[in-house]
Amino acid sequence: MKKIKKGIVFLLFAILIVTQIYPLFWLLLYSLKTNEEILGGSFFSFPAAPKWTNYKEAYEAGHYLQYLFNSVFVTGVTMLFVILLSSMTAYAIARFKWKYGQVVMTVFLLGMMIPLQATLLPLMFIFKNIPSVLGLDNFHFHFYFINIHFAWKIINTHLSLILPYIAFQTPIAVFILNGFMRSIPHEIEESAYMDGASVYRIFRSIIIPISVPPVMTVCILTFINIWNEYILAATFISSEKLKTLPFGVYSFVSQYSVNYGDIGAFLVLGALPVIVIYFLLSEKITKGMVAGAVKG
Amino acid sequence: MNVLKVPARTIAVFVLPCLLLYVCLVFIPILVSLYSALLDWNGISGANFIGLANFKTMLFDDPVFWPSVRRTLLYAVFSMAEIPICLMMAILLNRYVKRANTLVSIYFIPVILSVVIIGQLWKTIYNPASMGGMINGILNSLHLTSWTHSWITEPKIAMFCLYFVSLWQYFGYHLLIQFTGVQNIPSEIYEAAKIDGADGFKADRYITFPMVVPIFKISIVLAFIGSLQAFDLIMVMTGGGPANATETISTYMYNMSFLSMKYGYGSALATFLVVICLVFTVMINFVFKRIENKVS
Amino acid sequence: MAKGKVLAVILASALALSLAACGSSNNSSTSNTSSTSSTESTPTSSSDKKVTITFQNIYPDSTTPSYKMLHQLVDQYEKEHPNITIDLDSLNTDQQKMKLKTQAASKEVPDITIVNPAAQMKPFVDAGLLAPLNDILDKDGLRDTYQKGLLDYYSFDNNVYALPDGNNIEVVYYNKELFQQAGITDTPKTFDELLQDVKTLKAKGITPIAIGEKDSWTGSFLFMNILLRTNNGPGFLQDVLDKKKTFNDPAFTEAVAKFQELVDAGAFEEGATSIDYNAGGNIFKTGKAAMYIMGTWEIGAIDSSPVAGKVGVFQFPTVNGKGDVNEYMLAPGSAFAVSANSDHLQETKDFLHFFASNLPKAEFDLKNAVGIGQKVDGDFKAAGYSDLAISALDLFKNVKGGDLAFDNTMNPATAQIHLSSIQNLFVQKVDPSQVAQEHQSAFEANNK
Repeated sequence: MKKIKKGIVFLLFAILIVTQIYPLFWLLLYSLKTNEEILGGSFFSFPAAPKWTNYKEAYEAGHYLQYLFNSVFVTGVTMLFVILLSSMTAYAIARFKWKYGQVVMTVFLLGMMIPLQATLLPLMFIFKNIPSVLGLDNFHFHFYFINIHFAWKIINTHLSLILPYIAFQTPIAVFILNGFMRSIPHEIEESAYMDGASVYRIFRSIIIPISVPPVMTVCILTFINIWNEYILAATFISSEKLKTLPFGVYSFVSQYSVNYGDIGAFLVLGALPVIVIYFLLSEKITKGMVAGAVKG
Repeated sequence: MNVLKVPARTIAVFVLPCLLLYVCLVFIPILVSLYSALLDWNGISGANFIGLANFKTMLFDDPVFWPSVRRTLLYAVFSMAEIPICLMMAILLNRYVKRANTLVSIYFIPVILSVVIIGQLWKTIYNPASMGGMINGILNSLHLTSWTHSWITEPKIAMFCLYFVSLWQYFGYHLLIQFTGVQNIPSEIYEAAKIDGADGFKADRYITFPMVVPIFKISIVLAFIGSLQAFDLIMVMTGGGPANATETISTYMYNMSFLSMKYGYGSALATFLVVICLVFTVMINFVFKRIENKVS
Repeated sequence: MAKGKVLAVILASALALSLAACGSSNNSSTSNTSSTSSTESTPTSSSDKKVTITFQNIYPDSTTPSYKMLHQLVDQYEKEHPNITIDLDSLNTDQQKMKLKTQAASKEVPDITIVNPAAQMKPFVDAGLLAPLNDILDKDGLRDTYQKGLLDYYSFDNNVYALPDGNNIEVVYYNKELFQQAGITDTPKTFDELLQDVKTLKAKGITPIAIGEKDSWTGSFLFMNILLRTNNGPGFLQDVLDKKKTFNDPAFTEAVAKFQELVDAGAFEEGATSIDYNAGGNIFKTGKAAMYIMGTWEIGAIDSSPVAGKVGVFQFPTVNGKGDVNEYMLAPGSAFAVSANSDHLQETKDFLHFFASNLPKAEFDLKNAVGIGQKVDGDFKAAGYSDLAISALDLFKNVKGGDLAFDNTMNPATAQIHLSSIQNLFVQKVDPSQVAQEHQSAFEANNK
């Protein structure tokens, strides 16, 4: 009886492996097919002759390395700041004695469910005007022989992506980290505090190390949400050398024609680094999250 | 419990960077949206203040609005209903599988793939048999021709097909989150319970479920956010069609703001999303407070 | 507290570092703008000041002739004017439309952008975002290179605000081989013959007409042909706008009914509303459908597809004996416009003048000159254009007039309701009078 039950459970897991891993396999085949095979062929068909040139074309026409670098840079900086800023805020809300903690939390919660598209127009307006409000859009400084002049702008720089990405990811990050930090027994901090340690020190050497698991969760969430983001990127970035990976995909989709195989190849190239990194880290991610994500 | 008495300056250092960024780039745009909802504005020129007219039209005269709300909420219900299943799977994984981490990582793959890939894949699954669609192909070969459908173009079933894709894609996501929660419960507790005669599902009822409540809450919130913002997948697969049959609030908002060029009206829809978000936040906090009180 | 300062310093330096990194990865664009404004303050001749012109365009696919044309001309211009850099922002059509609208709201329109004719570009002109281009049209006779009347679609108050890349008509492409297989000997001259052919093809297991109705303008574009016939000529939508007619007019309901007959006969591939424009076209181009009803801009793509050489064209047939086959759905192309707020308006205009003057020749050489908006010197046949291209050019010679697409005539809000209403006909049976009423209420609600 128990064996049968176990068998059924394993069968279930096996089926799930097939269904969840299938897209990768499908994509790989897709990327090696010709347009005709993709449009006309049946679902399970293999390419008659693998069309490796798809990869060559995708690599060349898609500015792969440039876009990859930009994606990595934007995502990396965003993740760093999301973790830093939101863990500090979450800690302040969870532990500090101040009147407005809950108000701040509510303000953050409000923004958690706002779709990006709703804020595009105001964001464009803000980015356009911040430099001129700060007087930096056409900055002259003249003092004897010192002559400084520059024009700072946000639109069409990576900053115009990183800033809203951070801002949009912080609410959920604060929510998760705050939930965790509230559950840390406060005896540890209290004794450290009595011993004369500053809040900064407590935060850095006690709170951050035990918060690694939820920080991992936040990392994954942030990464997933940003890596494939296209709408903001397309709206705020115009220069070829600043564009991110999702652009490559769309750059094949033009007005009057489509190279499906190339798109597939580019998608494989785009997904590759993510999958490699994910599997290198997966043990750490699941293990890391284990350490204390549940109320201890 | 908030215990640390710290000077205002310290609070400022911890909270202000994050809060400022968030307020400037998320909160203020939301407020701008709320204001735009009172305008008759094409998004480019000549805005007229029309008070609550947009809301009146939206709530009483728009044949597309309420069905979109219904679809969005149903999306949320399905997404949230998936989580208990993920929890069960996580429990089974933890109990029966030795190297469960690897399995969880594999199940996670669809989450990290771009929506463009997911959309293309599922289109080829749902396509009519004449276009190489998998489901219809299988049904035909089983001589179940009467069961075949043009899945994502029949208004009555199209939305459910989209729900399914979303559930499939995010299965691994919630499984990962639940799995970390389950794995974190110290095995001593189960051993102690075993001595008391609680085993298998009985142990789950009294130990596992209460212990994973906080993690469960995170999943619920993430699922809800995900479904309110559901946009990319729908745009890739159906574009909200046929004839608005798969429109949700956020796709409809995009449609109104950018295609119909009724930006004020689109903002009214965004405002409605903010309100739903508020109601939900209050509700979920209330429900989970009760649950937490009950189990602990 | 010393620890606190350490943290603050770390934080500040991290921020500074990321800002510096952001700055360095795009320093060239920043330095360009700064040097521009610095030279503005010192009176130097305009010819040697460094200028970056942002050129937003819809030609991202490197395999298309349009992409090649664009890059060829831009490279040439940059070579001849070393101080000018053209920054190409290549997007797909939908994304470009959305981006431009977002930019327009903040008056951040790129130096050169793409707009669509008539009703679609009117809001941008009304907002004063586009610069009049009369001066460059009058220079070196550029105006005369455009086909007669074409620029009217881009003119408001006697000012031309954009230069079109094309001037196309909508035709019916058909696959001669598939017609033969089904035993169809001649192209249909009436709608009933077309319906009969559809049924014949369907019976042979061939998809009669390919369409990509996920992009709902495709179905509307086809539908408007029928309306053009049942109305016995062009101008129906204009009459509605002028309040001379309503959508409840029999011409409109008849067109809806005829369109439904086409759907009912199984004219289109299954699941058409989930197939996008490109995929729809590819059904025809891979030889899986017998007909494709689309603009002449498709000729280049068809000639480089597997069905090249097997394709012919014919005019959309008459409906119930009404209409003239030499009246077409007209498709004046998307067009290049210049931002009125450009920091370097003159340089941008100079470039556009060069671009528009050299476009016909470049397109002609790339065999992409059927349906461009300007007159081309050259013998198409001698240059090796296909039979399909030549026969399409013959159709052009006899164009008597026609209508613009729905979304180029009506305002966007009305157009959207129209598009989804027509899309609905693909999946549901709706009473024509109800469709008409939907249109009429949408029109009244959005034209107050």
